[in-house]
Amino acid sequence: MWLIKKAHVVDPAQGIDGICDVLFDEFILAVGQDLNGEDFLDSSHRLSVIEADGKYLFPGLIDVHAHLREPGREDKEDITSGAKAAVRGGFTTVLAMANTQPVIDNRGLVEYVMSRGEQAQGARVLPVAAVTMDLKGDALVNMAELHKAGAVAFSDDGRGVQRAQTMLLALQYAQLTGCPLISHCEDESLAKGGCMRRGFRSARLGLTGIPAAAESVMAARDILLAQENGGKLHLAHLSTAAAVAALRWGKQQGIDVTGEVNPHHLIFSDDDIGLTQTCLKVNPPLPSAEDRGVLLTALVDGTIDMLATDHAPHTWEEKARPFPEAPFGINGFETALAAVWMSLVEPGKLSVSQLVRAWSLNPARRFGLAGGSLHVDKPADIVLFDPKHTETIGQDVWLSKSTNTPYWDKEMHGFPTAVWVGGSLRDAALRDAAVRDAAIQDAAIQDAAIQQTGRERPSC
Amino acid sequence: MDVNTESWQHKDLLGIAQLSPWDIARIFETAVSMKEILNRPIKKLPTLRGKSVAMLFYEASTRTRVSFETAVKTLGADVGSFSVSTSSVNKGESLLDTAKTLDAMKFDLIVIRHTSSGASEFLAQNLRAGVINAGDGQHEHPTQALLDAFTLCEKFGVLGTKHLQEPAYPDRLLTGRKIVIVGDILHSRVARSNALCLQRLGAQVTFVGPPTLLPPEMACWNVGISHDLDAGLDGADAVMALRLQLERQKSGLFPSVREYAELYGLTLDRLRRSGREPLLLHPGPMNRGVEVDSELADSLYSVIEEQVTNGLAVRMALIYLMSAPL
Ligand SMILES: [Zn+2]
Repeated sequence: MWLIKKAHVVDPAQGIDGICDVLFDEFILAVGQDLNGEDFLDSSHRLSVIEADGKYLFPGLIDVHAHLREPGREDKEDITSGAKAAVRGGFTTVLAMANTQPVIDNRGLVEYVMSRGEQAQGARVLPVAAVTMDLKGDALVNMAELHKAGAVAFSDDGRGVQRAQTMLLALQYAQLTGCPLISHCEDESLAKGGCMRRGFRSARLGLTGIPAAAESVMAARDILLAQENGGKLHLAHLSTAAAVAALRWGKQQGIDVTGEVNPHHLIFSDDDIGLTQTCLKVNPPLPSAEDRGVLLTALVDGTIDMLATDHAPHTWEEKARPFPEAPFGINGFETALAAVWMSLVEPGKLSVSQLVRAWSLNPARRFGLAGGSLHVDKPADIVLFDPKHTETIGQDVWLSKSTNTPYWDKEMHGFPTAVWVGGSLRDAALRDAAVRDAAIQDAAIQDAAIQQTGRERPSC
Repeated sequence: MDVNTESWQHKDLLGIAQLSPWDIARIFETAVSMKEILNRPIKKLPTLRGKSVAMLFYEASTRTRVSFETAVKTLGADVGSFSVSTSSVNKGESLLDTAKTLDAMKFDLIVIRHTSSGASEFLAQNLRAGVINAGDGQHEHPTQALLDAFTLCEKFGVLGTKHLQEPAYPDRLLTGRKIVIVGDILHSRVARSNALCLQRLGAQVTFVGPPTLLPPEMACWNVGISHDLDAGLDGADAVMALRLQLERQKSGLFPSVREYAELYGLTLDRLRRSGREPLLLHPGPMNRGVEVDSELADSLYSVIEEQVTNGLAVRMALIYLMSAPL
């Protein structure tokens, strides 16, 4: 049992944003002023008390968009390394996209992802199943069966569903499951061959541009399809002003649609791209500076519901190529929170409470997940966050198998120093000395207890 | 040979973007000397004996490669040639591994042509040897732009010592000159490098082409933009036709070659009507009857053959500057 004292607790679900104490075992037991852990203690628990002045405590972050690459591309990432990197970055739950090799489009693979996730002892890993078999954009997967097996959403992410009719039917049929359909909005006829946002910068560099319309027309189409027949629609990685306008319109019409934005689309723009900076090659491509401003406004005013990393690991060799030939994707788990902290929270563009709402509460609500708040009896998915903790991003602090981040070798601050998933402290995220000492002491006492029981056993 | 012996500051030549007007004048000054040598009966120089230059061509281009190879040989250096069909570049070896191999072979300079924008910069970051960009994707083709500007300066009579050395205002070499570039601007590294180079020397540049091949974002070059060839040509001192890749028609970028030629094909008549008897340039190889009418190509307006000779002189100048033992 843990009692974290005098942390700055941020829990938008309960309107908490101030200094107080949090007591938990596997579940949240109490949140309040001057808590006395002894009141809750029973014989089966020991109490570890941590003084957390100057630190924040919030419900574990939930990342609804991640690529863990297993099965098929374990050279880039696997479920174990991904789940550990995620928890190190402050995520207690991640949704693993289906575009693996083979694609997560059958019951066996959904179960495989879940069981590998449980073994990983990192963040909770929840599978997103494909919308169509083998991401072909054609035959629907057995949605009801895959939902029953554990899929929490459906998405052909990596590709957009090109045919409107298929998307319409998918939105309708998915209503059987109550799960959102996550749309990767990309019209391939418009985006084909491009490698960065079409604009002045692409024209300068001589890189084939992807017009903003490639995303916007698909976002607008999917919102209209959801209006036609209902269904829960979630728009992944929004990056254009027009797609945001469509989302805003859809919400005004009462259509059941939500949207997410990735930190890199809020922090970088196409102007930052140089011809050899393949670490900034990402899909959808980095927006114009103007669109970036629109995305931030929409996140702050709640039009965009949530943040998501779109963690997309790639090997060093794949990124060490000329720009047009390198794969799309940014490695996000271990730097996303610090990046948002430094670029948005510290300059006062986003409040801590807005951050927690967008990265924990809203994802939990939208995808029907257990976490997202510190309500009593909720699972103890908890992040202790030190805004001053500084690290230089490099191999000695890194858990992901890939290093394709624009922050490599850069100094960052604002990291989780302890993360609990269901009350279990995760080694992968443990940076806090006091918590570590308490955990070591706890383990030693438990070992002693076990040894004692062991000695007593023969006499029974 | 009468050349400036001050040391050259650039390890690589990746694009015009990295060159100042003074750098360009320095290349021109050297190229003038090289051209004199080319006009001698015995054209070999021992200057770079013992140096070696690798040709790494991922895109077929006989003209550019032969021009570079001739430049290297004329300067007395050795050429190593790696083209798509003859080496491991076609067997899936990464550019990075190829680069490391070339470095291990101790080449002094590597000339690269590649289909990907940025390939030469990528190579330069990973190589000890100097890199010359002989065309990377749609990004830059600096030696083409240098030879084009050199040809214009020569024709306009501004390559003398007094222009290039004494008052030293190379950023005004082409001031008051209007140069039109017509064709598939969007996909053209020649247009990009020329826009940079000509503007650095003071010229006024206008791009002409259909909206699909000259979209609004090309305004980033701060050039004039016109979709009407005759309007664009008005008062021009020179016009450069770009090679039209006929495959573009299949992707729907223009409806037919016939309509393209009608709207954007250069003819003798069009040039005569434009007012100032403009010079005609073409980077080659030319689609006669498409971007340039045959009659015009063979007329006195055309400086296409001079471009080829000047290409050799400019490339000799560059290789000399980049590898001369000083
Ligand atoms: Zn996606």
